[in-house]
Order: sequence, then C-alpha cells, then structure tokens
Amino acid sequence: MGTLDKNDESVGTGLVGAPACGDVMRLQIRVSDDGVIQDAKFKTFGCGSAIASSSLATEWLKGKTIDEADTIKNSMIAEELNLPPVKIHCSVLAEDAIKSAIADFRTKQAAKRSLAK
Amino acid sequence: MDPFATLGVEARFDLAPSDLERRHRELSRAVHPDRHAAGPTSLRRVALSRAIELNEAYRLLKDPIRRAQKLLELRGVSVAEGQEPKPSGALLMEMMEAREALSEAGHAKDLAAVERLATQMRAREAALLERLTEALDSSDDAGNGRALSLLGELRYTRRFLDEVAAFEEMLLA
Repeated sequence: MGTLDKNDESVGTGLVGAPACGDVMRLQIRVSDDGVIQDAKFKTFGCGSAIASSSLATEWLKGKTIDEADTIKNSMIAEELNLPPVKIHCSVLAEDAIKSAIADFRTKQAAKRSLAK
Repeated sequence: MDPFATLGVEARFDLAPSDLERRHRELSRAVHPDRHAAGPTSLRRVALSRAIELNEAYRLLKDPIRRAQKLLELRGVSVAEGQEPKPSGALLMEMMEAREALSEAGHAKDLAAVERLATQMRAREAALLERLTEALDSSDDAGNGRALSLLGELRYTRRFLDEVAAFEEMLLA
C-alpha cells in the first residue's frame, strides 16, 4: 500500500481500471540507475481479489529488473492467488498496471535522455 | 429472459419507477401464494415460479445500470466482459482522487466531508443518467456506443456511492 512521488523521474506510475466493476488500481515502481526495481507500491479501490492481485504484484516486482518485471503474466498471479474464473479479470488488471507503470517509467527515461542530448 | 416483457412494459430506458412498482404489484397479486394455497400442486408451482420471475424482472429494471445493460443486450449490442470501452485516463485519475478523498474523510470519521463528497457524486450520477437516457433514446449505433461508455462511468460513480453508504453506516452506528 502507499504512494511514491509520481513526478520523480525514477518512478513509473500505472493507473488502470476495470469498467465492468468500477475498480481503479494504481501501481508504482521506483527504479534504480541500473534498472532494478527498488520499491513498489499500490493503491486499489476494488474487490478483495483486485487488492490481493495488486499487492502480490508489488511483492513480486521488488528486486526484479524492468525486463524481468515485464514478463509477469496475469496467469501467474491468478494461479498464486487461486482466483476463481469470475475473478481472473482482477489479475488481468494487475498485469495491465505493471505494464503501464513500466511504460510510464520508460517514457520518462526516454524524455530524460532526449533532454540530455 | 426479457424483463420488460415479463412486466409488460415498453422496452425503453426511460421508465418511471412508480410505473414499474405499480406493474410489479398488480401482476404479483394474481400469483401470490396465498391465492393458490388451496389449489393443486402444479398450479401452485406455476404461480410460484411466475412470482419469482416477476420479482427478478422488477429488481433488474429498477436498477438503471442493469436496465440499460439489458436494453443494449436486447438490441444485440455486446457488453461481454473485457469488451467494454476502456475508461479514459482522465476519468481514472479523477476517480482515484475522489476515492482517496472519500477514504480519508471516512477514516477521519468526518461525516460532513463524506456527505459533501457524496453530494457532488450524486449530482454527477444524475447528469450521467440524463445523458444515458438521451443516448439510449436514439437506439442507433452511435447512441448505443455512447451508452456503453456512460455505463462504464456510471459503475465508477456507483462504487463510490456504495462506499459512501458503507462509511455512513459505520459513522452513524
């Protein structure tokens, strides 16, 4: 749980939602200069499965490189949490949030590099 | 099941709650178990299943979100899970902030602040329902598409107001 500074250039923020249930999930990663995720935080307003999925995602992200993080699949989350079929979309949401946080971080880094040139 | 047909009302979004309630009451009276208590078992069973059907149809049509969803389904517009239009980033940001503010007010036991946020969200929901009525009135593709994304937004306002109700219950207890 919690928040990282979304304006920090080493922080990537993913904000995703499930329109079918009105859930909203924010997942943030703080990445070191060598591309390792040092910290990950989430805030989820949704059902228990959505909260558990995002919580597990942040646990798994810590210590992984960005590229390793990119390989986390919703099926892995669903399996670990034993989610029933009707709750699979909660793990999809968590995967979306990871992907979107990574994409945000990469966009920031690209902007930083182009400024440095 | 077509709940509009079950209750014998026109398949449209714009239905007055009082009319729905009256239709449900009228039709239910005829199948009330007490009326058939002395009748044969088969008739009692038919009456009971009809009573259940009427209750289900009424519950569904009373809820604007489910009513709109059913109407779209009857029009052949798919609302399968995962096919809904994605919520915009702006909407998600807004809802995240609203939920955070509500959660803060709720946990601080600040009922006045909870009510302020609720009032804002209720106004927003009313405006969305008005736009949904308009979108579903046209019954063309463009209108149905607009209705789908309005429904997505309405689920967010609904969740918010559910949370308000939970905090109210906790704080007023």
